[in-house]
Amino acid sequence: MKFNIDELPVLFPYPRIYPEQYAYMCDLKRTLDAGGHCVLEMPSGTGKTVSLLSLIVAYQQHHPEKRKLIYCSRTMSEIEKALAELKALMKYRSEQLGHEEEFRGLGLTSRKNLCLHPSVKREKSGSVVDARCRSLTAGFVKEKKERGEDVEMCVYHENLDLLEPHNLIPPGVWTLDGLLKYGEQQKQCPYFTARRMMPFCNVIIYSYHYLLDPKIAERVSKELSKDCIVVFDEAHNIDNVCIESLSIDLTEDSLRKATRGVNNLDRKITEMKSTDAEKLQSEYAKLVEGLREADEARNEDQFMANPALPDDLLKEAVPGNIRRAEHFVAFLKRFIEYLKTRMKVLHVISETPPSFLNHLRELTFIERKPLRFCAERLTSLVRTLELTNIEDYQPLQEVATFATLIATYETGFLLILEPFESETATVPNPILHFTCLDAAIAIKPVFERFSSVIITSGTMSPLDMYPKMLNFQTVMQESYSMTLARKSFLPMIVTRGSDQNMISSGFQIRNDPSVVRNYGNLLTEFCKLTPDGVVVFFPSYLYMESIISMWQGMGVLDVVWKYKLILVETPDSQETSLALETYRTACNNGRGAVLLCVARGKVSEGIDFDHHYGRTVLCIGVPFQYTESRILKARLEFLRETYRIKENEFLSFDAMRHAAQCLGRVLRGKDDYGIMVLADKRFQKKRAQLPKWIQQALEDKYSNLSVDQAAAGAKAFLREMSVPWTRAEQEGISTWSDEDLARHKAKMETDMIRQLQAEAEGMQGVVVEVDEFGSGDLDEAMLELDV
Amino acid sequence: MSRTAQRNGATSKRLAEDGDICPVCKSSRYLNPNMRFLVNPECYHKMCESCVDRIFSHGPAPCPIAGCRRTLRKARFRTQTFEDIQVEREVDIRRRVAKVFNKREDDFMTLKNYNDYLEQIETITWNLINREDVEETERKMAAYAEENRKEIARNESTAIQEALSRKAREAEELELAQMKREDARQEDEVERRRKADARKGVVNTQAKSGDDAASIAREGQKVVLKKSLARRAALEKQRDSDPFSSGTENGEASSGFTFTGLKKRVAPPPEKPYDPFGGWSVQREYFVLQNHYDWDWLSQARTNVAHTTGGYDVNDYCTRALCDAFSGFGVFIEDEMAGKNVGSTPSIATAAATVVAGGKADMHMDDVF
Repeated sequence: MKFNIDELPVLFPYPRIYPEQYAYMCDLKRTLDAGGHCVLEMPSGTGKTVSLLSLIVAYQQHHPEKRKLIYCSRTMSEIEKALAELKALMKYRSEQLGHEEEFRGLGLTSRKNLCLHPSVKREKSGSVVDARCRSLTAGFVKEKKERGEDVEMCVYHENLDLLEPHNLIPPGVWTLDGLLKYGEQQKQCPYFTARRMMPFCNVIIYSYHYLLDPKIAERVSKELSKDCIVVFDEAHNIDNVCIESLSIDLTEDSLRKATRGVNNLDRKITEMKSTDAEKLQSEYAKLVEGLREADEARNEDQFMANPALPDDLLKEAVPGNIRRAEHFVAFLKRFIEYLKTRMKVLHVISETPPSFLNHLRELTFIERKPLRFCAERLTSLVRTLELTNIEDYQPLQEVATFATLIATYETGFLLILEPFESETATVPNPILHFTCLDAAIAIKPVFERFSSVIITSGTMSPLDMYPKMLNFQTVMQESYSMTLARKSFLPMIVTRGSDQNMISSGFQIRNDPSVVRNYGNLLTEFCKLTPDGVVVFFPSYLYMESIISMWQGMGVLDVVWKYKLILVETPDSQETSLALETYRTACNNGRGAVLLCVARGKVSEGIDFDHHYGRTVLCIGVPFQYTESRILKARLEFLRETYRIKENEFLSFDAMRHAAQCLGRVLRGKDDYGIMVLADKRFQKKRAQLPKWIQQALEDKYSNLSVDQAAAGAKAFLREMSVPWTRAEQEGISTWSDEDLARHKAKMETDMIRQLQAEAEGMQGVVVEVDEFGSGDLDEAMLELDV
Repeated sequence: MSRTAQRNGATSKRLAEDGDICPVCKSSRYLNPNMRFLVNPECYHKMCESCVDRIFSHGPAPCPIAGCRRTLRKARFRTQTFEDIQVEREVDIRRRVAKVFNKREDDFMTLKNYNDYLEQIETITWNLINREDVEETERKMAAYAEENRKEIARNESTAIQEALSRKAREAEELELAQMKREDARQEDEVERRRKADARKGVVNTQAKSGDDAASIAREGQKVVLKKSLARRAALEKQRDSDPFSSGTENGEASSGFTFTGLKKRVAPPPEKPYDPFGGWSVQREYFVLQNHYDWDWLSQARTNVAHTTGGYDVNDYCTRALCDAFSGFGVFIEDEMAGKNVGSTPSIATAAATVVAGGKADMHMDDVF
């Protein structure tokens, strides 16, 4: 369907639109016009992606500057879904407009997924594929070839050079599969096609890491222009992604590998000295000049900042004591040896970067400044030495990045050394966690560089938490409710068992037989009454295992077994996917199944249980994080001291976003229905932290139930759902056709006019101006009505 | 930067490492679980503690490792810090070099000079480590140290001072953090208690009055909310006024060493003692007060206990007498009249008054008091 938002004509690829989709688009447009960041929460299964895409594409095509859209999502499947949506949208647009628009949309993923080289693509590990690809495609390999040396190269990559650099692939939307097929046909490398075409694309769809992980962003996303529109979809976990992208774990093993890497480097340098000393000399000369002096011709403005490479570093020359290659290698050796000695300590240490640097200087005479340049210096050296087997140097690179980060940031990071794997372990196996505590550091360059950043997801409540944690200002924060023609989902909070004992997964009582039995009763009751699939979420693997074994002892599972097939998620992803497949088969067969999984596991993020795959979701216990972890404790303290977010506030926010994420799994559209059960007495107080759309559906009478009451309520709900129902019933209420939309708009207009008139009557003095605006609006409204 | 923590493999290595054998007495960790290894920075050969005791207790002795003839002393044996003996040695050399070449970045005119200096030092160190022209370098270094002793000492003291101030700052920060933590805890505690109290209050009111229970509860909640809001506002205010809350900017503590492009160091002028009169001093211009005047009638007063006990100082008397005698010596009425060039002839008193008002520069009087 086709409609206007203000002056912007929007083509929407479906004949009907949901009211919340329309509201979402209006707010999006307002944000884009104003130029700023926004946080939007929209219920899952209400077509968030398609409304986002159709509005932004319309916006791009309407405005002459054609701001680029960067759409970031979390998983491969979501990226592919978004690409498919985009493709359908563009097809619809060209049908409606009668001509093909000059438009390119591309998805980018790792080399592993996009490689066509016959031997490289058979490699299993992603890093191996990357390294082998680099050895076949790097610039110096080509130079060697031109010099007549016999080196292997990738044909697919070579073919790209024969094409026009700005037209490697015809306009249109290319899904990952489509890109692979086209590459196979034309014998050109899909990965490099996508990467090189990025500056010429209207829409880029890729994973968060390409923008947030400093190492990848440095290569891939650095040159994206400033006026891009950046969208983070499914962004409820964005703070964790940010933190992880800047955190480094070092083990003894990785240090050993790093040492090996340094020794290799040393050897290579001596080799090169005897054969090609000139090259080292020229690198040296360049470093004397300054790190990026060579690239000075380019405008500073063109790059996105990199948190691992602060600005002042770019302007400054490399310190003299690591300028020479051999000096730098010795420097690295010393640093690694120092880390090794630190690893020998047998008690837990938590240390701030300044104190680490002090100790380092006292022991090894390594100053802070050269340490800051470590990562850049290493990159430069690797480039000069023309190393091909980069994967061998991975651990070394990690150490160098660690060095740079620890010397750059005084706050926001913490060093934690854990010598033992667990409390009871006696054989030391130390891990040095260098954890980022401040999510704002990694995402800061994104907010600074791009004028509009849109953060959206199905579960983002409370909305003001994200601007606080990520330290940015919003122009728009909005949470949409779900308009429904019938009440198609039933959230309930179960606080007691049938015997009126409180149920909770709290630490003191989680293993009480009565609590476990009540949870067992809850499961059996819902397995009895639910048709098809039931999904159960536990707070942790540990708790799930203990409760399952207790249920086995109590005979709960035997009862469940009569009604449903029982499947369990494990930390192993292959086992889990097998379980999922079996679960789906069982649901398709009509018997139904129950899937026991973990609220922070793979299943809870990104796997949909639409329609009969999930009719009931049980959330057993509040999915709090493991609070004894030192890293979490450090982060909580940091949040309290820096952003004034209290520990409890954050923990409960984090638990509730995961719970909401779990609940959202079963409801994937408006014709879907499902029961959502939150089984813990503590949920009663946390009601306000649920997303708005769930809160609205959660009636007071369902917020404090016992197991038998819940079962009765669920039965009644299911009976209601079984009443024959056609989609026509939701016309005009929860879905709008063209006429409904026009009616809504007219209503909005009259409301506005009335309001303006009221204002005008209120203050006669400035009537003239107001009246002018009012009549202008009226004319527009008339015009729109005519359309 | 993935969190790839590969824990396996580390354990086996550690066991092997712990099970090593003393190269001198061949006893192994298996037989002597608390065996410690020591090295001497002369030759960096590793041996166990008992061997050191055995061989070097009676004074210096040659290293027992075959092929090494160096004479070692027991006092210099120490535990090894780094696993790699090369690095151990390198760090020792660096310690020595860093002691001599301890110039700082602000000693240089440009950053480039500083970087060149750093590289030079690195090359010197490199030579020492790789045993290339050791003697020559050592000689030069000693000469340099001799020449620049003062400079080196000064930089050293600066570094020490910096370290001290840093330590102090760290301690302060730690204390502050602890205080904050304590505050937060107390705040939570108070909040909890207040809530409990309010609830009790509501229940009491409900029990006593016959009003609608729900409305009382609502009323109570409102009161709590108001209270907590007010308290929070007060807290915010207090936080804002907290002088420490703004991040303490710590200057980059860096030091280093170079030779070309050194800045000329101008010694700051020595600080003068504090002068309350701002440079104005009471100097007798026309007479000099002697310590002793030979007058009979005065000498008696000088020794008389009745006078001295009361605090009478004969010198004061002399000063005043002389002041009286010479007062008005610096005043030349003719000059002043000419300078003023005024028709009317002012009285002497006014002339003197204008001179006084003219400022201290014109003051030639001996005593203003």
